[in-house]
Formats: sequence, C-alpha cells, structure tokens
Amino acid sequence: MFYREAGQYKTSYAADMAVFPIRQDRIGLAVILFTAFVLIPAFGNQFFLSSVMIPTLVFALAAIGLNILTGYTGLISLGTAAFMGVGAYACYKLTTWFPGVNIIVWIIASGFVSAFVGAMFGLPSLRIKGFYLVVATLAAQFFLQWCFGRIPWLVNYNTSGAIEAPERFLFGIPITGANATPESRYLVVLGVVALMTWFASNLVHGRVGRAWMAVRDMDIAAELMGIRLLTTKLLAFAVSSFYCGVSGALMVFLWYGSAEPEVFVINQSFLILFMVIIGGLGSLVGSFMGAALIYMLPIVLRLLPAALGVPIAAATVEHLQFIIVGVLIIVFLIAEPHGLARLWQTGKQKLRIWPFPY
Amino acid sequence: MRAPGSDKGVAAGDVLLAVDNVSLNFGGVKAITDVSFDIRKGEIRAIIGPNGAGKTSMLNVINGFYHPQQGRITYRGETRQKMRPYVAASQGISRTFQNVALFKGMSTLDNIMAGRTLKMRGSFFWQLFRHGPAMREEIEHRKVVEEIIDFLEIQAIRKTPVGKLPYGLQKRVELGRALAMEPDLLLLDEPMAGMNLEEKEDMSRFIIDVNNQYGTTIALIEHDIGVVMDLSDRIVVLEYGRKIADGTPDQVKSDQTVIDAYLGVPH
Repeated sequence: MFYREAGQYKTSYAADMAVFPIRQDRIGLAVILFTAFVLIPAFGNQFFLSSVMIPTLVFALAAIGLNILTGYTGLISLGTAAFMGVGAYACYKLTTWFPGVNIIVWIIASGFVSAFVGAMFGLPSLRIKGFYLVVATLAAQFFLQWCFGRIPWLVNYNTSGAIEAPERFLFGIPITGANATPESRYLVVLGVVALMTWFASNLVHGRVGRAWMAVRDMDIAAELMGIRLLTTKLLAFAVSSFYCGVSGALMVFLWYGSAEPEVFVINQSFLILFMVIIGGLGSLVGSFMGAALIYMLPIVLRLLPAALGVPIAAATVEHLQFIIVGVLIIVFLIAEPHGLARLWQTGKQKLRIWPFPY
Repeated sequence: MRAPGSDKGVAAGDVLLAVDNVSLNFGGVKAITDVSFDIRKGEIRAIIGPNGAGKTSMLNVINGFYHPQQGRITYRGETRQKMRPYVAASQGISRTFQNVALFKGMSTLDNIMAGRTLKMRGSFFWQLFRHGPAMREEIEHRKVVEEIIDFLEIQAIRKTPVGKLPYGLQKRVELGRALAMEPDLLLLDEPMAGMNLEEKEDMSRFIIDVNNQYGTTIALIEHDIGVVMDLSDRIVVLEYGRKIADGTPDQVKSDQTVIDAYLGVPH
C-alpha cells in the first residue's frame, strides 16, 4: 500500500538505470542516512557508538570488500584478515614516517598498499578456482600474519610487537589516539564507509561490475566475449583488498587504538566470510546486514538478561549466546540460503502488492 | 545498430574466414583431421554432421578457445596459426553456445549490456562516480541494447534474471548478447536445440533477419536438417572429424557419402 512504484514513470534511461529507481527506496535511504549521520551521534551513548556502531561499520566495509571478490566475482578468499592487516600496518608505517600528512590521506593510501598486495596474491586465480584458490589465499593469510609478527620494521622496532595509533587530527579535532571522542571517531568511520559504499555501488552497477559477474557466472562465455579474465580477476582482487585494507586501518586507528598480529588471524577471515554468506553473496546491503547480525546479535543477547532482570551467571550467558547465535545462523540459512539480502528483496516484493493477493 | 563489417574492407561474397588443413587432437583423440573450408562475407554457412563429428570443436578453433596442432586460420585476410579468444572477440567474432552459457545471476538487460563490454572505453575513475562520461556511455550503449531487445521481441523480460527464463527465451537472450557485440561473423552452436516448432520458426526468422538487415555473416551448427536446408547458402558436412562434403544444400542433399553417413551403408 505504501511501498509501490505505481504512477512513477521513467522517461529517460538515466532514471531507469538509477540504483534506487523507486521513490520510496530513495526516501528510505535518506532516512537511514539522516539517522546515521545526525540522530545516532546526537543521542547515542559512548558504549553504543564505540562498541556497537563503529565495529559494525568497520566489519561492513570489510564484508563489502570480500563480497566484491566472492559475491560478485566468484573467487573465494580466506585472506581477508591478512589484507586488513596490510592496511593497518601500512597506515601505521606511513603516519609515523610522515606525521604531518592528514591521517585520512594515509588511510586511503594504505588501501592502495593492500590493493597491490591483494593483486599479487590474486595472480594464481587465473589458473585455479574454488577450493584450490581458497588454499592459495590461505597461504596469503598465513604468510602475511607471519610478517606482522616477525618483521620488527613493521612495528617500528617496538618491543611489545604491537602497533599503537598515535594522536592525529582532522580539522583540528583529534580523531585517533586516546583523546578522540567516540562521536568524532564514529563520524569519520561513517563518512569513509558511506563514501566507499557509494563507490562500490557505482562500480557493481556499471561496466566493471558486469564484467565481474560475467566471470562469476560463466567464465568461458565471458572470455569469448572479449572480457579479459586475468585483468578482471586482478581488478576484483585489488578493489576487494583496497576495501579490506581501509577497513583494517579504520579498525586499528579508530576502533581498537592499538593492535597485535593476533588481531588479523584466520578466525577473523572466517568471521567476515560468515557475514558475507549470511548477509547475501553479491549484495552490498547484505554486507551491512551480515555484519550487523554477526556482530550485534551477541551484544544484544549478552545485554538482554540483565535488561530483563533475569538472574543468570555471566558465564552461562556467554554459553547461551554461542548456542543461540549458532542456531540462528542455521535457521537463517535454511530459511533463505541466499542470505538476508534475498529475504529483504522477497519482503519488498511482497510489500509491493500488499494487501491485495495480485 | 550499424551494419557490422560494412566498413571493414571485405566486400560481400569475398572470403571472410578460411580454415586450411586444421587438425586438432586431445591427447590421442583426434577431434578434427585436416579440415579446410571457407566462409564468405554475408552468407549463412551451416556445419552439420552426426554427433561427435567435431562441429563444436571447429567453432572453438575459430574463436580461439582451442588451439589446433596443425593448420592455419585466415580471418579478414590475416593468416594465423591459431586464434586467441580476445583477438577473435575484438575483431568481430561472436558466439552462442550449445548449452546456454548465459550469466545466470544477471538480468536480460545486463547480459546483453555485458556483450557491449568491448565497445565501452570509459575510464575506471568515472566508473566510480557513475556520472559524467561513464553515465553518458552507459546510456548510449543502453540505446543499442534496447534496439536489440526490440528486434528480438524480449521487452517483457528485460529485467528478469535469465536463470528464471524458459529455455527458448534463454536461447533468444543469448543471441541478443552475441548481437550486442555487433559481430562480423556470428557463430551459432545449435541455436534451435530443444525448441518446439513455433520457437524454431521464430529463431529462424531472427537468423534470417540478422543476416539480411545487418549483413552479418553466420556460421551455424544445427541438427534439424530441414532448417539447415532452408536457411543456409552453403553447407559443410563433417564426420569423425573429417570433411566429407561441402556445397549448396542441393549438392549436399544428393551427395552419396553424406547419405551414407546419415543413413548408414548396406553391408
């Protein structure tokens, strides 16, 4: 009744090719952006901003990165955490070399470093697919993780072996380091994530995205149509690693504040892969949904007993949380193997004709 | 759509593509043995033969997916040992597949748009913004794609994911994707396999129209002999990887080796 495109005529190809061709979708997006940029920083408390929203956005960005590679191009990777690590360590090196340059510039630059490393490890993808490519990316994961731990140069010969985000400013306001407020960190993360999501959306809706999906769906036909497989796959690896690298830099500089090599272990790669699969392969909105579900659900479950006044021991709550999250993931995958994004699509489709059956 | 190939220096009736003494083996299996034939500009050329005769392998050799051990391929006057897929595609050879090879997760529109990839030159930078030059290019190609959609009468399924379409329509979309490349030479691998009579008639009409309106040279593999005899200008017949006949439909129809190959020889 409320969500229907009846009466919205498109008179140009540009209008028809818009990412959100339906007016209600555009209004919805505006509401979400307003909430994220104005309402949440205005009314959210410190815990909500720095322990819920920032992590979810950082993971969503990494999930978008992996989704570009796995969901759009069909190349499975288990090196996500390592590429995030490359971004984090590159950003640390760059900002300690040149403290005068704005940190945002270095966060973007560390994305390029990560893109280069990712493209290097993407080279085998021309020859191998599926499980074999998983093994190749696993090599990236272990090799890079080893580098983070064993090359003291990467941590500026710090004896603790950890990197610590120094204080950096944007427009005179501290956004990294101990003095940065949650509000300023949140807004920086949100700005970067929103902008990069917009770029990703533009890419996947255009020529580049079609080439990626063509390689994913039928690589032989794509090749015989003149899509170069190596270039297309390497571009996917580079763009994907760029997103992961920026996400890793944001993670260390605007969320953790410091990081050890153990942050970028394979468990984190798996976590992001789960987000992508549960959110929906080949969907940007799914990346956000997956990140939100996997990251926020445990927090909600942990806080729920206390909020309801149920007296349970903290340890029990934690066990229950694992059980419930596991069960929910299985339930979601049985209900809709294509992820939350497909559920969302189906829901919108139903809403279009509601309340009439046809 | 412009008439493809009209400005490429090969006049109608000249040889567009020639294969000379091509042999192809996979290990010990001989798929093609010493086959030569040519395809002239503007004609509809059929390749027929029993199952396993090497017809599809021949198409794969022509667009560079297989590399023959012996022989030469001459395309637009340029002689090569073997084709490469990218070179074949960028020089105007496009192709449909025996088992539909569409991009299943994408809509009809995106599938046909993907066929325009080689014609799109926009920079990666503008792709990031989807504005300015990138959007202008996108709209320009969308217009061409819409012409193809109108031509193939598939307006209603424009936004449907092709995985959900019935088989006959998938074949039609695949033809559309091949046409989007504005080919000089269109290779059709069993365009009518598994279709009912009505769908076959539609597909025949499209093939003839493509040939007439755009002057596209067509090489097709087909098992329906009636269709082949009606559509094609010349037919080459393969059996067990060898060429056993080559000529007009009437010549091929009355050729004793062809009759033997299809009907068997009395012992």
